[in-house]
Amino acid sequence: MSQTSSTGVQPRTQTPRLAWLSRPRSFTDSRRFFLFFMAAPAVLYVLVVGVWPLAQGFWYSFFRYNLIRPQRTKFIGLDNYIAIFEDRGARQAIVNTFQFTLTSVGLQLFFGFCLALLLWRDSRFNRIALAFLLIPATITPLVVGLIYKALLGADYGLIGYYLANAGIGPRTGLLTDAGTALWVLILIDCWEWTPLMALILLAGLKSLPTDVLEASRADGATAWQRFTLIVLPLMLPSIFLALVLRTMDAFRVFDSVFVTTGGGPNDATNTLMVLAVKEGLQFFNIGYASAIGNITILFIACMAAVLLLVVRRADVRINGK
Amino acid sequence: MAQVSGRQVFAERTAVLLITIVMLLPVVWLITTAYKPSNQIFSIPPRLDFQPTLDQFRNIFGYFDVVSLLRSSVAISLGTTVLSLLLGVPSGYALARSRSRYATGFAYFFLAIRMVPAIASLIPFYLMMRDIGLLGSWWAVVIINTMLNCAFVTWMMFSYFRALPRDMEEAALTDGCTQLGAFFKVAVPAARSGIIACVLFCVMFSWNDFLYPMFLTTLDSKPLSVALLTAYGTKDITWGSLGALAHFSTIPIVLMALFLNRYFVQGATNGVQ
Repeated sequence: MSQTSSTGVQPRTQTPRLAWLSRPRSFTDSRRFFLFFMAAPAVLYVLVVGVWPLAQGFWYSFFRYNLIRPQRTKFIGLDNYIAIFEDRGARQAIVNTFQFTLTSVGLQLFFGFCLALLLWRDSRFNRIALAFLLIPATITPLVVGLIYKALLGADYGLIGYYLANAGIGPRTGLLTDAGTALWVLILIDCWEWTPLMALILLAGLKSLPTDVLEASRADGATAWQRFTLIVLPLMLPSIFLALVLRTMDAFRVFDSVFVTTGGGPNDATNTLMVLAVKEGLQFFNIGYASAIGNITILFIACMAAVLLLVVRRADVRINGK
Repeated sequence: MAQVSGRQVFAERTAVLLITIVMLLPVVWLITTAYKPSNQIFSIPPRLDFQPTLDQFRNIFGYFDVVSLLRSSVAISLGTTVLSLLLGVPSGYALARSRSRYATGFAYFFLAIRMVPAIASLIPFYLMMRDIGLLGSWWAVVIINTMLNCAFVTWMMFSYFRALPRDMEEAALTDGCTQLGAFFKVAVPAARSGIIACVLFCVMFSWNDFLYPMFLTTLDSKPLSVALLTAYGTKDITWGSLGALAHFSTIPIVLMALFLNRYFVQGATNGVQ
């Protein structure tokens, strides 16, 4: 406005006024109300169907509450939580869940990265191969468990029979031996999710600045130098995103464990989810199962927090923000 | 990437091809068992060759009410998908466009809900459904699946809409378009591919889900995923029927994800690029 007046042109107050008026119109009160009512149903729905049961579960966890003997319901404070840590089976489940999560996500990260590097070159061949590689991730997890249970059976299984005959592993089959069952479950998880991990990492690789890579190549950096000095640091955010996603999922593993071993033999493959489902929906031990569920949430929240902190620190270190 | 020797490309492709084949062998096994006669599935030593037969398909139609199972599965995934999108797309849009400082917080709240282990809410939800008399119907499964999936859709659409420019909608609004009009005529068409990705994932999650329907449905409302477990457990029903049943339960989803691969990739890598 000052410009128009300084040039001596007759000030046309109308135009700037209109512009000033039309600007906030894109975000008026009606817009605000509209957006509020667009978001409200979903928030309300999740509060009623998602958060309310969680709150109830939190409440139940302080009670001795068994559906088979509801008249004996009694407030017992933290006893359910103490019972988890006193019970050998439950402790085993916690250890198993962590061992499963850390090993399986670690292996997936390694193999997924290798696969992503192999698929990096953008070609029709690689795109089609990736589409087929992702098939395991789209198969019903339940069916995945059943496939491997059948393949690894020592009696008629295509893999299990020959392994047992060659004297490799236990005679009863890999899934029925306490020493090997958890490792087999880890490998099954890797089969199912490594391609997905590779997909996420590949998306990260493809968003890397190509000029930096070209420059380093022109400067004569070896492949290994390019990988450790350029690709790896730039990939850290993608790596951590993939880790967060897969860690959460692996920690909640249920379907494949439930159908292959059911937590056995002797609790060797019991995970927190399997334990909670058994206690809650088979023995109707609502209070105890709720406590296990809450502990699982707590563990997941802690891991998410740790991973998020690591992401942020890595991001700060690399991008200097 | 810059010029590379044809030899290196050939080596890479061979490696990729070998990995793909090895990874897919269990899937091939699953499909082929459906065409094997039972005595050849259970032979010692196990063998790979077989005379193709359709016996297993005849068996499963004898053992299971396949039509009823399919109906339950379709009802559950259709109901879940429609409800999740109706709730999730508008809320994702609203959170992306809102200028409130709580909007991002709410978006993260939806993401967190998606990460909660199923069992923690399943037990109280089970009791809730028992009290209002919905236990045993597939409505119970739809209700809880919708909660998880609409949280997923909200998060997906939140990040999708945030990456889309606001200009078009704001132009439409200043041109006298109604708020709803700007949403349906401008924002939704622009976010088409994100919405397709959401549909794909909702169908996949709810069709493949097994924990909820196992405890929330009864004999006549159970979907295919629950029936698969029984297909395996009983003695006279064999791996063959598992393979045959998988033709209805698993293969359609796999094919859908394969054909909609672009959207699958988009949904799975949401947040990386």
